[in-house]
Amino acid sequence: MMTLRDSILATLLAALALSAMPWLLSAFALSLTLTCLMYAGLAVSWAMFCGATNYLSLATAAFFGMGAYVTAWGAEALPYGVAVLLGGLVAAAFAALVGAAVLHLRGAYFAVITFGLGELVRHAITYYEKSYAGTVGRVISAPPEAATIYHTVLLLSALAVVTALAVRASRLGLALRGIGADEERARTLGVNTRRAKVLAFSLSAFFAGALGAAMAMRWTYIDPLSVFNPFIGFQTVLIAMVGGAHTILGPIASAVLFSLLTEFLRLQFPYLFLIMLGFLLILLVLYLPGGLASLFARWRWRKSNA
Amino acid sequence: MAIPRFTRRAILGALAAAVLAPAFAQDAPVRIGYAIARTGPWSAGAQVTQEPNYIMWAEQVNARGGLDVKGKKRKVELVSLDDRSDMETVVRSYEKLMASDKVDLILPPWGTGANFAVMPLAQKHGYPMLSPTATGRKLLGMKNPYFFALLQQPDVMMTALAEFLKARGAKTAAVVYVDELFGLEQTAGLEAALKEKGIQIIEKKSYPLGVKDLQPVLNDIKSKRPDAFIALSYPPDTFLITGQSKAIGFNPKLFYTAVGAAFPVYRDKFGPTAEGVMGLGTWNPKTSPAAKAYFDAHVARWKKEPDRWASAHAWAGLQILEQAVAKAGLDRKALRDTIARSEFDTLIGKVRFRNGENVSTPGVVSQWQGGEFEVVWPPQNATSPAFYPKPDWK
Amino acid sequence: MAFWFELVATGLITGGIYALVALGLNLQYGLMRIMNISHGEFLMLGAYLTWLGHTVLQVNPLAFLPVVALALFLVGVAVYWLCFARIIHTAPAVEVIEARSLLVGFGLMFLVQNAAYLAWGADLRGYSYLAEPVDLGGARFMANRLVVFAFAVGASLALLAVLRWTLIGKAVRAMMQSPTGAQLVGIDTRVLHPVVFGLGLAMAGIAGGLLSMVYEISPGMGEPYTVTALIVIVLGGLGSAAGCLLGGMLLGLVEAFGMHFTSPSLKMLLSYAVLIGVLLARPKGLFAR
Repeated sequence: MMTLRDSILATLLAALALSAMPWLLSAFALSLTLTCLMYAGLAVSWAMFCGATNYLSLATAAFFGMGAYVTAWGAEALPYGVAVLLGGLVAAAFAALVGAAVLHLRGAYFAVITFGLGELVRHAITYYEKSYAGTVGRVISAPPEAATIYHTVLLLSALAVVTALAVRASRLGLALRGIGADEERARTLGVNTRRAKVLAFSLSAFFAGALGAAMAMRWTYIDPLSVFNPFIGFQTVLIAMVGGAHTILGPIASAVLFSLLTEFLRLQFPYLFLIMLGFLLILLVLYLPGGLASLFARWRWRKSNA
Repeated sequence: MAIPRFTRRAILGALAAAVLAPAFAQDAPVRIGYAIARTGPWSAGAQVTQEPNYIMWAEQVNARGGLDVKGKKRKVELVSLDDRSDMETVVRSYEKLMASDKVDLILPPWGTGANFAVMPLAQKHGYPMLSPTATGRKLLGMKNPYFFALLQQPDVMMTALAEFLKARGAKTAAVVYVDELFGLEQTAGLEAALKEKGIQIIEKKSYPLGVKDLQPVLNDIKSKRPDAFIALSYPPDTFLITGQSKAIGFNPKLFYTAVGAAFPVYRDKFGPTAEGVMGLGTWNPKTSPAAKAYFDAHVARWKKEPDRWASAHAWAGLQILEQAVAKAGLDRKALRDTIARSEFDTLIGKVRFRNGENVSTPGVVSQWQGGEFEVVWPPQNATSPAFYPKPDWK
Repeated sequence: MAFWFELVATGLITGGIYALVALGLNLQYGLMRIMNISHGEFLMLGAYLTWLGHTVLQVNPLAFLPVVALALFLVGVAVYWLCFARIIHTAPAVEVIEARSLLVGFGLMFLVQNAAYLAWGADLRGYSYLAEPVDLGGARFMANRLVVFAFAVGASLALLAVLRWTLIGKAVRAMMQSPTGAQLVGIDTRVLHPVVFGLGLAMAGIAGGLLSMVYEISPGMGEPYTVTALIVIVLGGLGSAAGCLLGGMLLGLVEAFGMHFTSPSLKMLLSYAVLIGVLLARPKGLFAR
């Protein structure tokens, strides 16, 4: 196990190396890298809370969409960086508010409620936009450069990884793992479970919101259906769990692998790729239930026992 | 030293290839790229209105020997991807097609949102796009020189409807619309047009896409007895509204639904019930011999009919592309200029663009009569006179 | 008066379908903790099968329903054996079963939905069946909706009866209450699990067949119903079949009344608000055991 300081250093070095990509890669390869980074950021921040506590949150779509709408509304008035930051903060605030109300639920209840949040916010925004703004979608007339978007997403994802590392090594991380193992016991041992959960939930929401705000600029036209796409939430959960939600490297590797695999299959098999993806996913879960991280652990175990 | 035999052959071969290369080079196909929804929510529309036309056009062109590029014929090769009704995938696909694959031409995706997303790319890389399924003043407001909208704009179609109502002496109207950009823009256009014609809107309600039951709303409207009922709807709701209106016996003098009314499956599902329903359309096989030829070819190729609204616009867009490439070749800047400045002969009549908008095709009102979606207004474009008031539900 | 009657009836009719779809999912979740997020896709298959039966074989859709139910039952058993059995046997804890079955569910969703797109294309399909208005108590309804309601409620009550009074039903309830205890008494999970799973999919198939009589079908039609089923299950209380039925009806009524008093646009908003409200007051749902 690397020390916290070394892990953070490794992350920053990787980020530095990746920041050169806009000048090395074609536009398409850069987009692909962008997608990998986005999902890495989303999956790592999701796992930060849900991996340790074993809660199943499908709220990523809600936070992502909220961030996107902050950008949509503020694009004219705010500089890009501020919009992204604000997107994250709004999502975090919303998570804190909602979390206080629903984090006492568990399992399927929690999953359904968090899924419902995305739909709730989407319909609320649609209604508001329709009634008071007389429109449904928003146009971003002056999107920033592709390189700017890329660097922003890179920064956010790197920050997400660093935060996850820091949380894991901190008392908050310990509290979360305790909650994941046995919430009652953690409470009797003196852990303020409510505060820990709300804090971690908000923290992971911040990144989802900020990433949503950052990515929205790419699409020029933002409407509720595309930014509150529940698929983004599903895919984040999928990637994190396939990678191994209790680790940090797992979701990152899984995000890269998943994005590349999906794109490769889509280009090679324009009609069959989703069927193949579904098939592969089922095989993976059935025969590699620990996720990709378990492969890594197994390899390390074998090495140390060789 | 004598040149060894095989080397001599190799050199001769190379020389021959160099001389003959230009002759072979003209066989290099014209690569036309696009991403379209084959799965996901957009696919229902995309697979009726757009992709079948793209594929059929390429096949027809190749059967004629190829695309005419300034006098030289070259085969068309379609490079296509599924965009999964996802914005990010749309953007990435076109980035690949334009920047990496460097295709010669592109065809647009389906729907207003996706076209919005591709517009900046089209301008940046200089690819003209002729869009048959994107409508809205917002799009044209972007003033993108590479974007051309083929469909009649909302205000144009709604003005035609208002004129028809005025001509028939209707006084009141009730409106329902879907909570999407389409519904909003059409409603805005309708409100302006009706106001101008002095027709009063006595009820206006909106609903979310995919609603499962509108009977209470329809009952409410029925009790208010409007002359005209106008639903600015999308396919699932178009069907729902029709079925439920029939169920409660709501039969105003004018019954109008929007997207989906023009689809063959509407007529197939409702049979005689569809009689007298009006909607967004532009053509049918009777509008011109070219239209009939297109219709027959489509049915023969795909075993299904094209829709009576945007399918024709999709085909017209391809015809325009063909004519423009014949004149300007594959220099995309010159191509764009040709499209922007010329008038073209197409399936839906003459088409000319002004600031990216097709200003030649008039707004029309269509109506199902005896199993065909007839154009009933304005009189100069009509293929059949209108039934007004609407006959009772069969 | 007729107006209110019609509003209530509308809500109940919609609710009946919700209940039927939810019941199938509830069986799978309540018994095995399998979160089958692809449940709606099998509803879609049921719809397409019925449509094929009607348009190609010219069979009355109602008469075809038992065929659809049987077909989906067999599919369910196969799917259970291929995809879920391994998870149930190898997972160390219940949350793990939930998590892994969720992932497998996603995989199935991709697979089934896109196979349908490939097989039948993305176009909307539909047929007209009993699309005649019927007068009942001063209000008018489409005959097909009334039929759908009757069958949905009938199927739900039949399932409830099976659970309550037959031996198999007792075995299922025993398993839900205490898996180890049930096994000690000799109930064979290896037989029971696939049967129950198959039953769940059969109910989804019936629901799909009924829906095809009223609405258009498309390969993507299943997802919204999965979501609604999850809401209903949570609302009614996980594992409670009666809760499902009542929860479904309640949701339907909330939607109908909500749409009338506010605006159809707020339909989803209200549904979720009700859900959140219920869960705040009764965290295990309305009728949880």
